[in-house]
Amino acid sequence: MSASTHETDEEFDARFESYFNRKDIDGWEIRKAMHDLLSEDLVPEPRIISAALQACRRVNDFALCVRILESVRNKCGNRVNEIYPYVIQEIRPTLDTLGISTPEELGYDKPELAMEDVYEIH
Amino acid sequence: MAASLLSRSSGRVVSLGGRRHVSTTASVSSAVSKIGSREVVGHGFNGEASYMDRADYPFPAVRFREPSAEFKALLAKEKGDWKNLSVEEKKALYRFSFCQTIAELKAPTGEWKFCIGFGLFLSSFAIWIYIWMKRCVYSPMPESTTLENKQAQLRRMIDMRIDPIDGVSSRWDYENDRWKSS
Repeated sequence: MSASTHETDEEFDARFESYFNRKDIDGWEIRKAMHDLLSEDLVPEPRIISAALQACRRVNDFALCVRILESVRNKCGNRVNEIYPYVIQEIRPTLDTLGISTPEELGYDKPELAMEDVYEIH
Repeated sequence: MAASLLSRSSGRVVSLGGRRHVSTTASVSSAVSKIGSREVVGHGFNGEASYMDRADYPFPAVRFREPSAEFKALLAKEKGDWKNLSVEEKKALYRFSFCQTIAELKAPTGEWKFCIGFGLFLSSFAIWIYIWMKRCVYSPMPESTTLENKQAQLRRMIDMRIDPIDGVSSRWDYENDRWKSS
């Protein structure tokens, strides 16, 4: 049992990729799978991200795409300058096909709006 | 308000002064009333239909805004090709679903400056209390703390041959009246 539950990296990537590639996936499942994926100690493979973005297209949720890219960027930690450009480079065909803007193209790599501190409103 | 309290208290028939009040809104969960007409889109971070921007759970359970009339056209356009969306429309769609970007969420607040400043203020306040105590409360230091008196005390210990085996007198050369070299 314990031997059969061991999952290689390749199997892990394939499991998430095939989950996102399901034709009847809905927004709830995309978010759930992304939360599961982001809770792992890893930066998702570009092919998984591409599959997730395709899934967002099928459920017509543009904001979710940008949020996924942002959270992947956040997952890169202090090696964001190494890993994130590689990820974007690998998923660039998907971005161009679907017409998705990266957070950088929307100006979301830096803070855009300030929010008043709720403890200082009154 | 009274009616809503009454209906929330139970779904059963309540008899007040002979009149019978029957609750008609028995099974509306409190979460639904809090989110208005916002769409519940996921599990969020604990399964409640609530909105919070978190970097570790970036996908909240509800959309940030209600699908009001001003967003209807935009949401319809989202169903089409995303290449036809302008940058402003894309940003509007993002802000429809989310309040803050993750970059805004993680932006430094500058609060550390306040913390350091307040900590230094408290430290300086404590030093002023010490100065005040020193000047106004404590007696002067005893005369045994002056250098001259401490030297006299040491000389007396040496003369009395205090601790001659491995202490102060063992290190004194009595023949030459000075400390032993090494």
